[in-house]
Amino acid sequence: MTELVGVYDLCNRHTNSFEEARLYSPIGEIHLQDYEQRWMPLVQEKLAQIQVREALAAVNLQDFHWRWSEKFKERAGDLGWQSFAIHCGGVTQGLMFVNLVRRCRAPTQEGDHMVYVDLLSTAPWNRHGLTDRPLYKGVGRIMLAAAVSLSIQEGFSGRVGLHSLPQSETWYRDVCCMSDLGSDSHYQQLHYFEMTPTQAQAFIGTETIK
Amino acid sequence: MKKTMTLVLSDVEMAALQALSEKRSLTKTGLLRQALRLYQMVETRQDRGEKLFFEHEGTKEKAELMLL
Repeated sequence: MTELVGVYDLCNRHTNSFEEARLYSPIGEIHLQDYEQRWMPLVQEKLAQIQVREALAAVNLQDFHWRWSEKFKERAGDLGWQSFAIHCGGVTQGLMFVNLVRRCRAPTQEGDHMVYVDLLSTAPWNRHGLTDRPLYKGVGRIMLAAAVSLSIQEGFSGRVGLHSLPQSETWYRDVCCMSDLGSDSHYQQLHYFEMTPTQAQAFIGTETIK
Repeated sequence: MKKTMTLVLSDVEMAALQALSEKRSLTKTGLLRQALRLYQMVETRQDRGEKLFFEHEGTKEKAELMLL
């Protein structure tokens, strides 16, 4: 059963004000319903307008093929996986799956435990490219902070790893200041990023991480 | 909902737990949680008919891990 794990502020770009956002784990039935009934119709509408696959990046939709409901069913009960959903303004604003049995690759922390962010999506109405006026800002940042917090809680010192879709590489590299370990030939040539404990400390802005 | 349990270990088991948790920089509880995740993953994959192998990095020699 889904439980509240934290309360954060999300910036509403339309009203230029902060709204209370609630982070839940694991993903619950209500979040999957929002994904199917609120997210997907907008995604399908946009996809119908796209002629070539290359245009997916332009509309920020390279993750459209992720089937969250199916993934959730496949992974339910598997201790290696944890899932999160963020709820704000009466609807799910973001979803994330993380894995807890992967090991780090960066030379300074090779073989160390980490939280691997497998899937992270924000609602379509929050995305540049997909809409002219994205609604909430900060969903991805809260989700990544949740992954860092989980890493600390598990004793992994804030270490986080992930493969980035091309549309998000700049954000992970320049905004989150993660180390870009380059293109991964074993994973669809996607760039692989890692966060060290020092980078994690800087990212969440706390002095408490060892 | 989290639940508490008491675990009784022999000296040898406790020494192994201590050594592994120090090596992996985890608490003893953290290490046991991680072990449970891995055990479950191995069981799931074995139930699917998959086998677990170790491969030597240099020689590329593979050895199947026999699970009971």
